Amino acid sequence: MIAKIICYALSGLEGVPVEVEADVNKGVPSYEMVGLPDTAVKESKERVRSALKNSGLLFPMNRITINFAPADLKKEGAAFDLAIAVSLLKASEQLLGADVKDIVFLGELALTGDIRPVAGLLPILISAKSHGYTRFIIPAANAEEARYLGGAEIYPASSLSEVVGHLVGMRPIPPLELKEFVPGRHKTGTADLKYVKGQPVARRALEIAVAGGHNMLMSGPPGTGKTMLARCLPTVMPDLSFEEALEITKIHSVAGVLGEEGIVSERPFRTPHHTATTVSMCGGGNRIVHPGEISLAHGGVLFLDELPEYKRSTLEALRQPLEDGCITISRAGGSFTYPARFMLCASMNPCPCGNYGSADRVCTCTPAEIRRYRRKISGPLLDRIDLQVEVDNITYDDLTSSEVREDSAAVQKRVNEARRIQRVRFEGSSIHTNAEMGEKEIQEFCVLTREGDKILRDAFERMELSARARARIIKVARTIADLDSSEQIMPKHVFEAVSYRLFDKV
Amino acid sequence: MNYTPEEKTVIYAAAVKGMNNRAGLAAVRGGDAVRHLDGEEEKEVSAYTAMLEKRGIFIVTFLSDDYPESLRNASDPPLILYGAGRRELLKRRKLCIVGSRITPPWAEKFGKTLSAELSEHFTIVTGLAEGGDAAAIAGALAGGNLISVLPCGIDVCYPAAHTALKEKILEKGLILSEYPLGTGTAKFSFHARNRLLAGLSEGVLVLSAGVRSGALITAGRALDYGRDVFALPYNAGVSQGAGCNALIKAGAYLVTEAADILSVYGIVSKEKEEPEAEGEEGRILQYLREQGEVHVAALAEALGMRIFEASAALSALELKGLAVKSGGNKYSAL
Repeated sequence: MIAKIICYALSGLEGVPVEVEADVNKGVPSYEMVGLPDTAVKESKERVRSALKNSGLLFPMNRITINFAPADLKKEGAAFDLAIAVSLLKASEQLLGADVKDIVFLGELALTGDIRPVAGLLPILISAKSHGYTRFIIPAANAEEARYLGGAEIYPASSLSEVVGHLVGMRPIPPLELKEFVPGRHKTGTADLKYVKGQPVARRALEIAVAGGHNMLMSGPPGTGKTMLARCLPTVMPDLSFEEALEITKIHSVAGVLGEEGIVSERPFRTPHHTATTVSMCGGGNRIVHPGEISLAHGGVLFLDELPEYKRSTLEALRQPLEDGCITISRAGGSFTYPARFMLCASMNPCPCGNYGSADRVCTCTPAEIRRYRRKISGPLLDRIDLQVEVDNITYDDLTSSEVREDSAAVQKRVNEARRIQRVRFEGSSIHTNAEMGEKEIQEFCVLTREGDKILRDAFERMELSARARARIIKVARTIADLDSSEQIMPKHVFEAVSYRLFDKV
Repeated sequence: MNYTPEEKTVIYAAAVKGMNNRAGLAAVRGGDAVRHLDGEEEKEVSAYTAMLEKRGIFIVTFLSDDYPESLRNASDPPLILYGAGRRELLKRRKLCIVGSRITPPWAEKFGKTLSAELSEHFTIVTGLAEGGDAAAIAGALAGGNLISVLPCGIDVCYPAAHTALKEKILEKGLILSEYPLGTGTAKFSFHARNRLLAGLSEGVLVLSAGVRSGALITAGRALDYGRDVFALPYNAGVSQGAGCNALIKAGAYLVTEAADILSVYGIVSKEKEEPEAEGEEGRILQYLREQGEVHVAALAEALGMRIFEASAALSALELKGLAVKSGGNKYSAL
């Protein structure tokens, strides 16, 4: 008898249906797998054999053929184990009366018959649902991840015998209960702007950066709280919408880094170490193309501490994703596109010893050393960082101003308002934030008064700024004006924007 | 380019025989070296000058008409100077501006402004290094009244990062060196170059100098030659200005504006219109002038402004050239 079971394979962030066919014939006992399975799939032979035996089921001592269709797709990973086991049971007539049609089976088997979790479950469920499948049996350990998917019957099972009991109707598994998405429900970090001492200038820059989706660079001596500030970035960013959360969860699920809560409810904050390779940063791999740090930071923050210490080639690889918001990785097995719309936040010391520009400590670096240190960051990359701000090493315990003790929630409120203005402005276009504006949008939305324009022209001449720097300054000025709820960009907005261009000044 | 017979003998002694030193100078001064060159020697000199000319380089000899008088009066002038650029600058009045490679931002900005103003009356003489030299160059380059003296051959650029800057100086000003083409830098050549800076100029302005800065050597040579020494004042305890303060203590002119220097030479500086700050900006400028270097948050606190408003206003003042940002988000008035 032939049995046909539906399973799913992953291709990038998309699920691809795979039919697992089992045929159990009379003949010399043998066990063959056809249909382009890779090693991990072939090894499932032994796992399935032991799992069946240890679950009190019979492994058919006949001539067994397992076929994976479509035959031209390379099948990878261990997620097919459960489907293979169920197809064998069905074909050897151990599941009499069970209805397995249109159920998608996902899960890896342990030798004991337990079902282990699989990576990339959520993207598979989403794809399968769009293909018309509504019934799923998934590993119980993946249940949290599936809880947010409405419109489907999902049965979490922790062992093969539970699956059999459910299928034959002896011990039905209760379907998974739907959970409501609440952004930031699982607040894990303790980062909050109220714990940041002083740093009034950097605080403000952080607010502008988040409000307009600008990238930022913090320069300052060691131990001034650059990392602390960066960790606050996700806390002031707008809350995730359900769609965004699903998209981010998909990426994290494919990469296998999803936490226990099953859905990413907070904006990601990724801090790859400066020894990171280009592949770990951008994504890649031999057979399975894994998303890299920039994709894991999608919708959140990619924080590069000590920017000049990163390998030059790795940093240069970031340039294209910074522009496009996604990355396409091409390998022999095919090319995959992962989203990578992240906010880049970087930090660096002003010079190798860290004291350059400090009033109270002496810098011991020679000008050549400082130049060499700064030259590690290429102009094109620096060009994509709109806000460059100095973090100083002075604490202002005696400052009474309320600005330096605000908490993240207060800042987030203003950010949300600025984002709302931008949403209205870019309605119907592919642009979300001010930072993404091109030359056309700048001309349309960043109108200066004639007086303001003249002041600007003079200023730019005096400061010997490039045309590109000018566009960056105007974009930041637009965001500052949005935070000020001002329709027009005033000279003061421009002046403030200019103060965040540390590396343009000659 | 035509060289007179005397010039040719000096070129022969200094460039071909390699006697661009005290011995050669003594020989020329005593008249021993000034003699008729025979055909073979003459040919060698012509070949050498032709090679230089092809590369746009000329030689000024001790016996040339336009050999700077001030340098000739120094105790140890070079026999020949290689030059590229505007030769006529040699005859103008010259003033030297130097500073340490590590110069605080306000001193760089201030030095640039001073250099621009002074270059209307003087040709500015300086080196090619970062910091003080770069500030002097930046100020004088627009007008082109600028001589940059190198501690290496004219075709060598040290520091290499200033290659583009050197090209600009070649275009608008003059570059001098006493070393033949291809000579690299050596420890002693910086000291030797500093003597040229002092020797060429009527006075030396020191923008910044630590206690062991090379700028102090230039100032010392200027004193040896009987030239004037000027220095910017610094706060007590600022290491980058300790040398400047020491110079002032020893009797150098204290400089807070270009007129301080010009008046020493009897030049009346033109009244120039200052872009003045009004309103909020005026208040800030006033405060900066009273307080010296102030952190933006402290300033906002003292004047009762929002911090980002203060940043914007300070940025405006900076663009108008009335204030300058130093490290750590601190500002000071100019």
